[in-house]
Amino acid sequence: MSSESSKKRKPKVIRSDGAPAEGKRNRSDTEQEGKYYSEEAEVDLRDPGRDYELYKYTCQELQRLMAEIQDLKSRGGKDVAIEIEERRIQSCVHFMTLKKLNRLAHIRLKKGRDQTHEKVDAYHLQLQNLLYEVMHLQKEITKCLEFKSKHEEIDLVSLEEFYKEAPPDISKAEVTMGDPHQQTLARLDWELEQRKRLAEKYRECLSNKEKILKEIEVKKEYLSSLQPRLNSIMQASLPVQEYLFMPFDQAHKQYETARHLPPPLYVLFVQATAYGQACDKTLSVAIEGSVDEAKALFKPPEDSQDDESDSDAEEEQTTKRRRPTLGVQLDDKRKEMLKRHPLSVMLDLKCKDDSVLHLTFYYLMNLNIMTVKAKVTTAMELITPISAGDLLSPDSVLSCLYPGDHGKKTPNPANQYQFDKVGILTLSDYVLELGHPYLWVQKLGGLHFPKEQPQQTVIADHSLSASHMETTMKLLKTRVQSRLALHKQFASLEHGIVPVTSDCQYLFPAKVVSRLVKWVTVAHEDYMELHFTKDIVDAGLAGDTNLYYMALIERGTAKLQAAVVLNPGYSSIPPVFQLCLNWKGEKTNSNDDNIRAMEGEVNVCYKELCGPWPSHQLLTNQLQRLCVLLDVYLETESHDDSVEGPKEFPQEKMCLRLFRGPSRMKPFKYNHPQGFFSHR
Amino acid sequence: MERAVPLAVPLGQTEVFQALQRLHMTIFSQSVSPCGKFLAAGNNYGQIAIFSLSSALSSEAKEESKKPVVTFQAHDGPVYSMVSTDRHLLSAGDGEVKAWLWAEMLKKGCKELWRRQPPYRTSLEVPEINALLLVPKNSLILAGGDCQLHTMDLETGTFTRVLRGHTDYIHCLALRERSPEVLSGGEDGAVRLWDLRTAKEVQTIEVYKHEECSRPHNGRWIGCLATDSDWMVCGGGPALTLWHLRSSTPTTIFPIRAPQKHVTFYQDLILSAGQGRCVNQWQLSGELKAQVPGSSPGLLSLSLNQQPAAPECKVLTAAGNSCRVDVFTNLGYRAFSLSF
Repeated sequence: MSSESSKKRKPKVIRSDGAPAEGKRNRSDTEQEGKYYSEEAEVDLRDPGRDYELYKYTCQELQRLMAEIQDLKSRGGKDVAIEIEERRIQSCVHFMTLKKLNRLAHIRLKKGRDQTHEKVDAYHLQLQNLLYEVMHLQKEITKCLEFKSKHEEIDLVSLEEFYKEAPPDISKAEVTMGDPHQQTLARLDWELEQRKRLAEKYRECLSNKEKILKEIEVKKEYLSSLQPRLNSIMQASLPVQEYLFMPFDQAHKQYETARHLPPPLYVLFVQATAYGQACDKTLSVAIEGSVDEAKALFKPPEDSQDDESDSDAEEEQTTKRRRPTLGVQLDDKRKEMLKRHPLSVMLDLKCKDDSVLHLTFYYLMNLNIMTVKAKVTTAMELITPISAGDLLSPDSVLSCLYPGDHGKKTPNPANQYQFDKVGILTLSDYVLELGHPYLWVQKLGGLHFPKEQPQQTVIADHSLSASHMETTMKLLKTRVQSRLALHKQFASLEHGIVPVTSDCQYLFPAKVVSRLVKWVTVAHEDYMELHFTKDIVDAGLAGDTNLYYMALIERGTAKLQAAVVLNPGYSSIPPVFQLCLNWKGEKTNSNDDNIRAMEGEVNVCYKELCGPWPSHQLLTNQLQRLCVLLDVYLETESHDDSVEGPKEFPQEKMCLRLFRGPSRMKPFKYNHPQGFFSHR
Repeated sequence: MERAVPLAVPLGQTEVFQALQRLHMTIFSQSVSPCGKFLAAGNNYGQIAIFSLSSALSSEAKEESKKPVVTFQAHDGPVYSMVSTDRHLLSAGDGEVKAWLWAEMLKKGCKELWRRQPPYRTSLEVPEINALLLVPKNSLILAGGDCQLHTMDLETGTFTRVLRGHTDYIHCLALRERSPEVLSGGEDGAVRLWDLRTAKEVQTIEVYKHEECSRPHNGRWIGCLATDSDWMVCGGGPALTLWHLRSSTPTTIFPIRAPQKHVTFYQDLILSAGQGRCVNQWQLSGELKAQVPGSSPGLLSLSLNQQPAAPECKVLTAAGNSCRVDVFTNLGYRAFSLSF
């Protein structure tokens, strides 16, 4: 053992991992193999069991030596040190053996490990390969299983039907019953057969249809050529109709055009014609305007859409160059909103004295209201006196036919919202060209709008027009006649003559000294500014639909001014007078009770002055009475003893008493036929 | 100055006629009910309207409270004067006097209790009755167009006496309690005092002959009279003057130019009204204490509600040349107006 160990030289131990090293080291390996001691090779030669024994022995020896050293050290002595030294050397040798054994053990371990590693890797790789292959095969299997053929998408007829309908050479029952594959094949065959047959049938039907269409065309042409022939027959029969005085054609034409009227005008037309035929022969109805334009209003929407798309394309180009200004756009919108239907209905009312009232009714489509324009023509030429300017003017002749119906505002409340959109404030700016939208016009057309003030009764729509027709026609005639009567009277009044008809003479004494000197029209604002008209204005009797006049009556130095309010509803609504007397100071109803009494005589007691129906004489009688009253007033004025001189107006009227009552009234009431004056 | 224009309501024939009637209405007379809660007013169309003062003065008064409770046609002609006893309203106008029961009048369709016509001399024209006066021992004195005073006994309804003396029609009457004497003023410009027991004229004052108070340009007629036993105030054509009766001398002349149509003593003031809008309040010395404007351009009658049964309705009401009766709760201003 020790000889073995002493043989050992201190080698250069070449550590290698068992794997081929780099080229350089390989070379050094081969060089050094012959020269140097390789412990690895030794490992292969030695027996591990023996090495293990060696190891145990060496450890024992070491233990023994240590124990001996211990003994010697504890004994002490001279030769102890040499002994110790010997033993020390021996222990060192043993240590060297141990080291070697340790190295060998390490090398063995390393080798063993490497080997197992290789094996494990190889097995691992194999496992991976196999697993991969398994997966691949599984995928293939599933693919095969999932395969669907096109034939399964076709809806085949059911099996029973198939066997029933298919001819035996296709169905081949014996073969197909057993074999599902054959069965499917057979079924597919049958499907193909059926489809071919159906395609044939379809082609036949198409050709049939073509034939029938052609026949229809031919027949249509035949019919369309029939219409012109019928028309020519009708034309030919016209002379015959005229000869026989049966203007069916004319009435028919009118009804034809009437079909194109908008509903309200149509209602008006029907009701007016009916009324004219039944009650009033002096009423005649006609339709004016362009029927083509009316028809054009109702073009079908698809055509207009196609046109729009073309015109849009054109318009785009033009609008890019020149956009119309906002004002012009608004103007166009306004015109569009106020557009009238191209057709209108004309009514002509003939009155007894051959004067005619022409009424033209229009329909405003977007606003859904009707308007009317009026004109009065007389049998003879009328010379219009200055003050009568407004009496027959188209603007005001029909104003307030019914109380409060001034025709300046649209009766349809919905129009207000439409007006706001295009900036129209009120319809009254446009009434001159469009006509007046009176409420009675809407009623004649059957249009019913809710009133602004809530009202208790509701009128049924259907009979609206019929119920109003008669009343309105009568009112219209009365209105025209009273206006014409006033017209004549004004001509006379302007000349200072109060025209009193013979059947009203009994209301007045024979001698009337006061004279009418002036008769003029007065503007509404001027009337309101007069100081003696305040009561009438405050009572709400002086609206802007009335006509205002000023009369001046004179006698001697006394001047009586009378401001007159003429309501459009004359003569059912009386004219209202307010007086101002200038004689020895200014006297009005606020400072002289007698002036107030005079006003009461003409305003409140007007019914006596109406005269025979239709009371066209009311205004002139009132004026004449004023002259009489002025006479009485001036003559019965008590004489002031302190002033010198005779009375200006000697008393000529016969009066029972000059004063009566706490207010000391003068006798204003004229008694016929006794001819004296008394108090009321 | 901009005048606020009222909206012209669409007026049919009837509305226009009613508006004109109201514009030309004159209220000639007023009378307070014995309970003090109602006021009767008579107008020139012969209608009498009863207003409820208590509801118009209450705190929940609405516009309808200022309208009459009931209006009816009492006479054919104007109702120139009215007076109330403790159960009846007596109204007189064109020639006859009618009596109405206050308790019945508030119902519609009330009929007069009785009517009487004094014996008139002329038959050509029926004279009007301008003044009614209740005198002690249940009698009524009527005076008016026939220049006479008639006495009527209210229990029997007979006309007992006729007092003649005036040369022109009589405007107003007043009672001098102490004697008792009746004063009457008329168109002839004289104030005459009559003794009721002897039925004779005891004193005559011809106002227009006194220079201080006569105003010839207005005329000589005496429109209103009031007496306070020793004193008398009268007005009309001549100036409003305070007279001492025993000596028949004018002591104070009230400086107002417009002829006065009604005058009355109230506490230590004299209230007068006439042509012109205002109710005038005078001190006895002749100073004008206040002039309170009303709503009518001229006033014809004043009425003080001094009934003890209704102290809350103690108001002064004035009416005249309009359809309105002004109510003054406090003499300083017009509270509101009742309207026909």
